[in-house]
Amino acid sequence: MTTTLETVWHNRIFYLFVLPFAALTILFGVWPIVLSIAVSFTASATALRPNPTYIGFANYAAIFADPGFLASLARTFIYTAAAVVANVGFAFGMAVLIDSPLLRRGGLLLRLALFLPVVTPDIAGYVVWRWLYDRSFGAINALLDLVGLPAFAGLTTGLTATISLLIAELWHHAGFYMLIFHANLAIRDRALEEAAHVDGATTWQRWRYVILPQLKPAFIINTVYALIQFLKTFTVVVVMTKGGPNEATNFVTHYAYQLFDQGRYGEATAMASVLFAIVIGISLSIYRMGDKEAGR
Amino acid sequence: MNADADMTRVSRPLQIVAYVFAVLVGLAFLYPYWWMLVSAFRSTRAIMDDPLRLLPEALDFSIFSEIANIGGVPLARYIANSLAITTASTVLSVVVTALGAYALTRKPHLPGFTALRYGFLVTIMYPYMLLVIPVYLVMFKLGLLGSYSGIILFLALGPIQFFLFEQFFRKIPHEVIEAAIIDGANEAQILFRIVLPMASSITATVALITFLLNWAQWFPVLVISKSPDTYTLPVALLSMNTELGANFQGIMALAVITTLPVAGLFLLAQKRVMEGMAAGAVKG
Repeated sequence: MTTTLETVWHNRIFYLFVLPFAALTILFGVWPIVLSIAVSFTASATALRPNPTYIGFANYAAIFADPGFLASLARTFIYTAAAVVANVGFAFGMAVLIDSPLLRRGGLLLRLALFLPVVTPDIAGYVVWRWLYDRSFGAINALLDLVGLPAFAGLTTGLTATISLLIAELWHHAGFYMLIFHANLAIRDRALEEAAHVDGATTWQRWRYVILPQLKPAFIINTVYALIQFLKTFTVVVVMTKGGPNEATNFVTHYAYQLFDQGRYGEATAMASVLFAIVIGISLSIYRMGDKEAGR
Repeated sequence: MNADADMTRVSRPLQIVAYVFAVLVGLAFLYPYWWMLVSAFRSTRAIMDDPLRLLPEALDFSIFSEIANIGGVPLARYIANSLAITTASTVLSVVVTALGAYALTRKPHLPGFTALRYGFLVTIMYPYMLLVIPVYLVMFKLGLLGSYSGIILFLALGPIQFFLFEQFFRKIPHEVIEAAIIDGANEAQILFRIVLPMASSITATVALITFLLNWAQWFPVLVISKSPDTYTLPVALLSMNTELGANFQGIMALAVITTLPVAGLFLLAQKRVMEGMAAGAVKG
């Protein structure tokens, strides 16, 4: 019977290996999260003092009574839903096209074109998009004008600004989801398809009953990644709209950041906790759903 | 074989439609790069007159001397900051994550190791932009605010690095390590003489991906910095873009400088990058 202490001493070299990683995780992960949660229970004016005043759930009550926050939350959900569907759908279509025998050559080139924006610094990409949408500099309206289509209002009205962000974010992120779909398509069991073909299955039946079930893990992973990604939408807002026009693109992370900037630390960190709970809740329930179906 | 050939037989018209569609999508994704590059060489006036022009009127590099100083800091300093911060955080990330993932994979049940794994998983689930704000407070308490080391330490922690190493270490057969133990090797020898030499390829992949990701980082750099002296290229670009009466041509030129190194690196090593990112993501 060895004690815990003896186990630790006996394995001290592994503790030495893990020490720098543990230090970084605790200092820049666990500690800030605990601190953020602690601050969310304090009065903002005292939050940064050595002895802050704890006020229980008052910040949480305050943010859920704040129409600005509730509107921002609703806006974030709608944007996230639209962005997840658009990104996962587009990425799936592109992966199928790249994988298909229709593009004998050229599949790799399309894959590179779609993935390059993923490794392009997001600030640079969004800065370029911001100006592409511009009414006087932008190429988008010049092109629409050239082919005789009506002008696109871009970042100047609520709905078009939201669509503009969605397009710019799709440009930056979809290549990653495409990559996951493509990797899963490439490792699928082709013998099954041949068998189905020999048995007289149509192309539709082959996709529906043989290929799509094999892509289920890719759909789950991509959906979870995209949900987490778009619930946190921030950089594109900072670069392109600053939450405007008329708050139309002021999503939760940006709204919380604005409060933080005004010194309303308690409410800002309460919003962070709420968003964190939503992210964890959604990811876990989707993984559960996937596990349950897989276990059937 | 016959069935396979039959199954993949394609019709000519459908193939043409697919190619046209693929070319259009590809061009739409690449056009912003071309527009950025061309705009860096055209005057603001010229762009307003004809935003769609596909080639600059003249190959005029004068804009790069015009933005040689941004916000009182030389452009060269932003470039040096980007190179130094990205390189240092990449090296640190590779070393720290490799050692950590190795220990956690070899001995997952040691006291505290499960807790550490959960702590790490919670950290990467936490909305990153909102984590950076309390990190400001932590940096303040540690006295690292405004320092290069604060930025580099924070950028050294990342999920994809950990998952890639973890996957690799899990696949090492137990027999290899057991044989070394029977031969009398100690744990340090096992790691440095047996495991790490096997890991050279995955280490290169992780280093490459970390470099690309950290080059793009901006929010932690902005939050931990006290002045533009520690800004990297993306942060300089953001602050230039936020200025009133923005210099459009200068912004495009700076965007080119920010994008070109990583775009080039990616195109040179695209296979490794895409395989690595696919592998690191699949373990969620």
